[in-house]
Amino acid sequence: MNGNNNANKQMTLKDAIGKFVKDDCSITFGGFIGRDCVAAVHEIIRQGIKNLTVIDDSKTDMMDLLVGAGAVKRWEGAYLGYGAIGLAPNIRRSVEKGIPAKIEMEDWSNAGISMRYLAGSLNIPFMATKSMLGTDIVKYNQRIKIINDPYEGEPVALVPAAHPDVAIIHVQRADAMGNAQVWGFTGNDENKARAAKHTIITCEEIVSTDEIRRQGNMTLIPFYCADAVVQVPYGCHPQSCYGYYAYDVLFCGDYHESAKDRDQFLRWLDRYVFGSADHADYCAKVGWSRLQNLMTMERHFNRIPG
Amino acid sequence: MGNQKYTASELMAIMTAKEFRDWEVAFVGIGIPLVAGITAKRFHAPNLNIVYESGCIGPQKYRVDFNVGDSSAADGALCLTSEWRVFSDMQCGYYNVGVLGAAQVDKYGNLNTTAIFGDQDYHSPKVRLPGSGGGNDIGSNIGRVVVMLRLEPLRFVEKVDYLTTPGFLDGSPNARKKAGLLGSGPAAVVTDKALFRFDTSTNEMYLDTIYPGVDVQDIKSLVGWELKIAPDLKVAPEPTDEELAAVRASDPANLIMGGVAARKRLSGLDEYIEITIKNSGK
Repeated sequence: MNGNNNANKQMTLKDAIGKFVKDDCSITFGGFIGRDCVAAVHEIIRQGIKNLTVIDDSKTDMMDLLVGAGAVKRWEGAYLGYGAIGLAPNIRRSVEKGIPAKIEMEDWSNAGISMRYLAGSLNIPFMATKSMLGTDIVKYNQRIKIINDPYEGEPVALVPAAHPDVAIIHVQRADAMGNAQVWGFTGNDENKARAAKHTIITCEEIVSTDEIRRQGNMTLIPFYCADAVVQVPYGCHPQSCYGYYAYDVLFCGDYHESAKDRDQFLRWLDRYVFGSADHADYCAKVGWSRLQNLMTMERHFNRIPG
Repeated sequence: MGNQKYTASELMAIMTAKEFRDWEVAFVGIGIPLVAGITAKRFHAPNLNIVYESGCIGPQKYRVDFNVGDSSAADGALCLTSEWRVFSDMQCGYYNVGVLGAAQVDKYGNLNTTAIFGDQDYHSPKVRLPGSGGGNDIGSNIGRVVVMLRLEPLRFVEKVDYLTTPGFLDGSPNARKKAGLLGSGPAAVVTDKALFRFDTSTNEMYLDTIYPGVDVQDIKSLVGWELKIAPDLKVAPEPTDEELAAVRASDPANLIMGGVAARKRLSGLDEYIEITIKNSGK
């Protein structure tokens, strides 16, 4: 499996999504409601990709946008809300009213999904967990198997390995080989990148391979897991990116208000997604000075060394 | 609770903050539970270490978070690691206490954060809620659990529509152990009107403490089963000025406690950033 090893993986977001994200594929996204791949989600919507199966832990903006845009067929995951701001309006409309389409829901817990990705990254068929036992998660999700463990005899839940077609992970910096360095929390990203058939790295900055070598401990995802590297500054907005910019709570508040109404949501989508040629165009609409202020705020608290 | 100098949310946060002890490790969800955690750190439990499911262990808590993966969750953290690692550490028993919100709770402390069925079912519910997130994992495997929700009609029910997070399950002796769960289950339910605890022999929730000015009958009328009252029913003290100052400093722009109305009162992002930095202590 060395056909994927080269130092020419850099491409545009449009090309990376077009090459790896297809109708009917399964997909996962890095980050954990923070360091989210928002720019990649906008591009998936712009390209009109449909029938995605998303296998993930917890998501807010990204899944609300994808479901509202009609890109998702099925969700296997733990949390689809809108953080401290409230419930996710497009998720509610889809599941409760079938607008624009009803997505299939398969509920797991965050630890349950984490173990699915750990199993995927270990290339073994399942993992055991002490979560979800005794609850309706197991009642409605028949893929969770409760067994008595063969050594001590205590009940334990088994979850199957996850192997999505594509993982998209946004990181602070990467090189053209695909070595991806992450500061702050790491979520399940190292396992998602290993479990997926293809991995797209989006990043705030492209650095030289020599620069990667200076802090090899920070490389969460090594080059052999990555298929594409895309520089997308402010690629998480309105979510935060540790050391780069803070969460834009007011932008999210406004989005949440708009998304409660289907027509207003569609106008939001027209303005910010379909009406933007690329992520830089989106950033211009949000306002470069606003993004700069979010960066100033973040760097008051967190500054990446070096 | 008429013309008081504090809101129900503030009192809930203060009552919850008192459930944390110094040097404990706490797994805390976003929203008012987190405000309670920050308040405890700034007040009586300065060495409380908070863990977030995104993989942040022991941040300084300069600012409030709106999501468990906001970069604020990592500010000055002792350890930044992965999601599967912190859930595994929970399973190993390193974490003392977890705080969870819920839409419904039953008399054995089982929680629903998945769906309100109404006249329908799981597949087409009246209200689709976010799901477990890490709630089930906390309820399954952490030392003890503190639940926070408002005491409103149809929230305290005989049976939850969907059992997302285990309390004492069917209430039978050792039900949790038989199911294979590791944690000891719910210890308290904090609401905007009263605080409930659980009978150690029957595992049933009972009324332990009422808030100033609240009538026991009003509480009973909002609970969907025959509620038992502690023989030594307590009345919570009025929050002190120091406690109120601590809780307000934990959410200085009032965006968690004040919601949409508070957001609309801000002149814009610049004012939010200024308030956050000014109150951060950094």
